[in-house]
Amino acid sequence: MFELFKQKAEAISGEVHSFKSKAEALDFIKNFIRENTSNQSSKSVVWCDSPFLEGVDKDSLIEELPQIEFNIDLNSASSAKVGINQVDYGVAETGSLIEISEDVKRRLCSTLPEIHIAILPMSRIEPDLESVMRKIDINKIPYLTVISGPSRTADIERVLTIGVHGPERLIIVCIDNF
Amino acid sequence: MIKEEIKKALQNANLGGALTRFSEAYAVSRARAYEGLNFEELREKIARAKAYVAENLEEIVQTFIRSAEKNGAKVFYTKSPEEVRKYIIELAKKHNVKSIVKSKSMATEEIHLNKYLKDEGIEVNETDLGEWIIQLAGQRPSHMVLPAIHLTRYDVSEVFTKKVEPIEPDIARMVKFARKHLRRKFLAADMGISGANIAIAETGTIVLFTNEGNARLTMTLPKIHVAVVGVEKLVARFEDIFPIIRALPRSATAQLITSYISFVSKPYTHIDGSQKDFHIVLLDNNRSSIAKDPVFKQTLQCIRCASCLNVCPVFRHIGGHVFGKVYTGGIGTILTAWTEGLKASKDIQGLCIQCGNCVRVCPGKIDIPELILEIRKRLAKEEGLSFKTKAIYSVVNNRKLFHSILRAASKIQKPFEKGGFIRHLPFFLSELTAERSLPAIADIPFRDRFKKIRQPKSQKKAIFFAGCLIDFAYPEIGEALVKLLNAAGIEVLFPEEQTCCGAPARYSGVMDVAANNSRQNVEALISIDADYIVSACPTCTVALKTQFIKDLKEQNYGEEIIRKAQKLSEKVKDASELINSLIKEGNIKFKDGKEQVFTYHDPCHLVRTLNIQKEPRESLLASGMKITEMFESDTCCGMGGSYSLKFPEISGTILKRKLENIKKTQVSLVCTDCPGCVMQIRGGVDREGLNIEVKHSIEVLAERMD
Repeated sequence: MFELFKQKAEAISGEVHSFKSKAEALDFIKNFIRENTSNQSSKSVVWCDSPFLEGVDKDSLIEELPQIEFNIDLNSASSAKVGINQVDYGVAETGSLIEISEDVKRRLCSTLPEIHIAILPMSRIEPDLESVMRKIDINKIPYLTVISGPSRTADIERVLTIGVHGPERLIIVCIDNF
Repeated sequence: MIKEEIKKALQNANLGGALTRFSEAYAVSRARAYEGLNFEELREKIARAKAYVAENLEEIVQTFIRSAEKNGAKVFYTKSPEEVRKYIIELAKKHNVKSIVKSKSMATEEIHLNKYLKDEGIEVNETDLGEWIIQLAGQRPSHMVLPAIHLTRYDVSEVFTKKVEPIEPDIARMVKFARKHLRRKFLAADMGISGANIAIAETGTIVLFTNEGNARLTMTLPKIHVAVVGVEKLVARFEDIFPIIRALPRSATAQLITSYISFVSKPYTHIDGSQKDFHIVLLDNNRSSIAKDPVFKQTLQCIRCASCLNVCPVFRHIGGHVFGKVYTGGIGTILTAWTEGLKASKDIQGLCIQCGNCVRVCPGKIDIPELILEIRKRLAKEEGLSFKTKAIYSVVNNRKLFHSILRAASKIQKPFEKGGFIRHLPFFLSELTAERSLPAIADIPFRDRFKKIRQPKSQKKAIFFAGCLIDFAYPEIGEALVKLLNAAGIEVLFPEEQTCCGAPARYSGVMDVAANNSRQNVEALISIDADYIVSACPTCTVALKTQFIKDLKEQNYGEEIIRKAQKLSEKVKDASELINSLIKEGNIKFKDGKEQVFTYHDPCHLVRTLNIQKEPRESLLASGMKITEMFESDTCCGMGGSYSLKFPEISGTILKRKLENIKKTQVSLVCTDCPGCVMQIRGGVDREGLNIEVKHSIEVLAERMD
C-alpha cells in the first residue's frame, strides 16, 4: 500500500520519504531545516504540536535550531518558510493526505508557509477515501482537508505552475515504527 | 449583435488558438484520467443521486438546514438573489467589514455580488488567479473553469502592470506576484466568501475543490466565512460525494484529484481565540422551478465541470464571451435561460450545432442539445417566428410546392454553377459561399431517376427514404445504394409521397411543421409493405427511428398515426448498418480492384445518436481498402443542417479545422456516411482547390462491387 501511495503522491509532485523510526525521521527533518532555513533569521519554521512531538525535548530542539517556533499564531505562521504538522491519514489511490484540523493552528502550518512537511504514520495509509471516511464522523469535524500534492495553477496560458497560494513543496515524512 | 460578436471572436487568434489547443489536449488527457474507471457506471451514480435531489428538493434543502444548524452554522435560505445580497451586505456592515477575499464562486457571479459590495464601499478581491486577472482587467470569465483562458501572458503582464505594479510577462514570476499581493489581502480581510462544489444534506457539510489553495485561506484567515451555495449543489447522503469526487477533477481539468478538497462542517475557534462566524447562504434563484419542469429538471444534475465547453466544436472557436453570459457554453445557455429568463438565452441558444459531443462526456448525464432544442421550441412558441422563417417553413410544409421550388432552383442556379458547384452567390447570400462552395441542385432528382432503374424482382424488399439532399443534390448516392441492395437480392421501393424528414423545422423549434413532415412520411412509408426502411442520411435515420414518434406525440396527433410511426421505426436501418450486415453475410462481393487508402469522417448523428462507428469502416476495409484515421474523426464538420446557413462563419471555421485534419493524413479520399457532411466537406475542398475526393461510403462501395 505504501508503494502505491508513494507512486501516486510523487505523480502529483509530492516528495515522499520513509523512515523506520521517529528518531530517523527527526534527523531528516532537522537536516532539512538546516539546509533550507537560516538560524540567523527569525522564526522561519513553525511546528505544530502532535503525537510525533511527544517525547521530543522541544527546548533542546530550539537550542539546536533556534529558527523553530512551536508557538503558532497568524504572525508566526505567515512569516515562516516551513510549516510542519502531523496528518491523520494517507490515501493510496490518489497519494493524498487527510488533515483534520479541530485546532486551526494545524491548518495554518499547511496553508501559509512555502514548504509543508507532513508527518504520516505508515499504519495510517488507507486504500481509498471511502475507507478513511468510514473511520471518521464528518459532522463532528469542523474542517477536514484532503491534500494532494503542492498548490498549483494553470490559469495563465494553461502552463502548470506549482505554488500559488498554498505551499510550493509538500514533503511527506512516512514513519513505519511510529 | 451576436453576428458582430461572432466575427470579432473568430478574428481573435489568441482566443481560438488557446481554446482549440486546450480542447484538443483536453480530449486526450481526459480519456487518460478516466483510465481504469467505468465512466458510465460513475455518471449513472452521479445522475441518480442528483436526480433524487431534484425530485425531493424542498425536503433535502430542509434536511441540510437542520444538519448545518445543528453543527452550529448560520444558514440563510432564499429564492431571491436580492435577498442574498442584502444578507451579506448587512452582515458586512454589522461587523464593520472593510475588505473581503473571495474564492471562486459561480453563484456569486450569477447574482453580481461584487458590484453590489463595491457600491457599498467594501473592497472585494477575487483570489483565484484567473478570477483575479479577470477582475483587474474589468472583464468577465470566458470559461467556467479557466476564466482567463483568452488572455496571453503578455495581456496578463499588462493588466498587472497597469493595475498593481510593473511585472514582466514571465508566468512563474507572475504567479509569485499574485501570491505576494493576494497574501496581503488575505491577511487584511475581515470576511471570506466562498462557493461550494457539494453540500451534503445528511451531515450539513460543504465540500470545496481547489488547486491553488485560495479557498482554504479564504475560509481560514478572516473571522467571518460566508459560503454562497446554489441548491443544485446538494446531495442527500454522505456517500453520494464519492462519485463526484472521482469525476469532477477528471472532467474539469483531467486531473485525478485537485490539490485540495476541503470539508467544512462547523464553526471552530478562530485564530484570535474567538468563535468563528460561519454562514451558509443557500440560493434558489429559480432552481426549484427547474426541478419542477419535467424536461429541464435534469439540468440540476450538473456538477459544473464545464466539460461540455471543452468538447464543444463551436465553443472552442468563439469562447464564452460570445457563447454564454455568466454561465457559458451549452450548459451555460440552459442556466442563462433559467436564471436570467428565457429571452436572455435567445441569441446564444442558436449557437449549439446539435452535434452531441457534450452528451458523451457529461458526468451528470444531461442531454444538453436536447434541452437547448427545448429552449428553441419554447422561444418559438413564446415569441412567434419571424416572417422569413414562417415563409420558409410554410413551403417545407407543402411537399408539392417545396419540390417544385427545388426543381425550379436547378434552372435558376445555372448562372452561378460550375462543375457541379455554386462558388459565388450574389451580395447578401454571398456569406453562404464564402467558406465553401454549395452543391448545385441536380438536373434530374433521384425520384425521377429511380423510375428508370431496372431492378430484378425479389421477395425481399427495402423502402428507400432519400431525404432532400440525396433526392435533389446527390441522386447518385441513391443510385449507388439501389445497386448495392439489388446485388444482395433486395428490391428497392420508393414511395413518391415521401418528403423532407422534418429536421430543418425540428432543429429550429418549428414543431408543427416538423410533426406535419413526420405525419406525411409515416403515411407514405407505411403504405407499402417491406422488410426494411433504409436511409443513407443519418439525420433522416434518426428522424425515422425516433423523432417522428416524438413529434407526433408532442403535437398531440392521434394514437393510430403514432402506432404507425412506431411500427415504421422497427424496420428502419441506416444504410451503413444494413450494407455492413449484407457484406458480412456474404451477399455483397467486391472485385479485386486497386488498393485505395481512405480516411473516414464520422457524421454526428451516425456516431453519437445511432452509435454506429465501426460498421462503415469495416465495410470499406472489406472492399479491399486501407484506412488512415484522421485526428478528431468524430468531431463535427460544421454542417449542422441549417446551422451552416445561420452561422456561416462559425460553420466555415469548424470546417477549416476538419480540412486541416484531413490534409494531415495525406490521403486523397474522404469517406463518410452523411450527404450533409459530403456537401460541407466537398464544398470546403472545392473552395480550397484541394486534390481530395469526398464521397459517401455507399458510392465507394458500389464502385468496388464485383
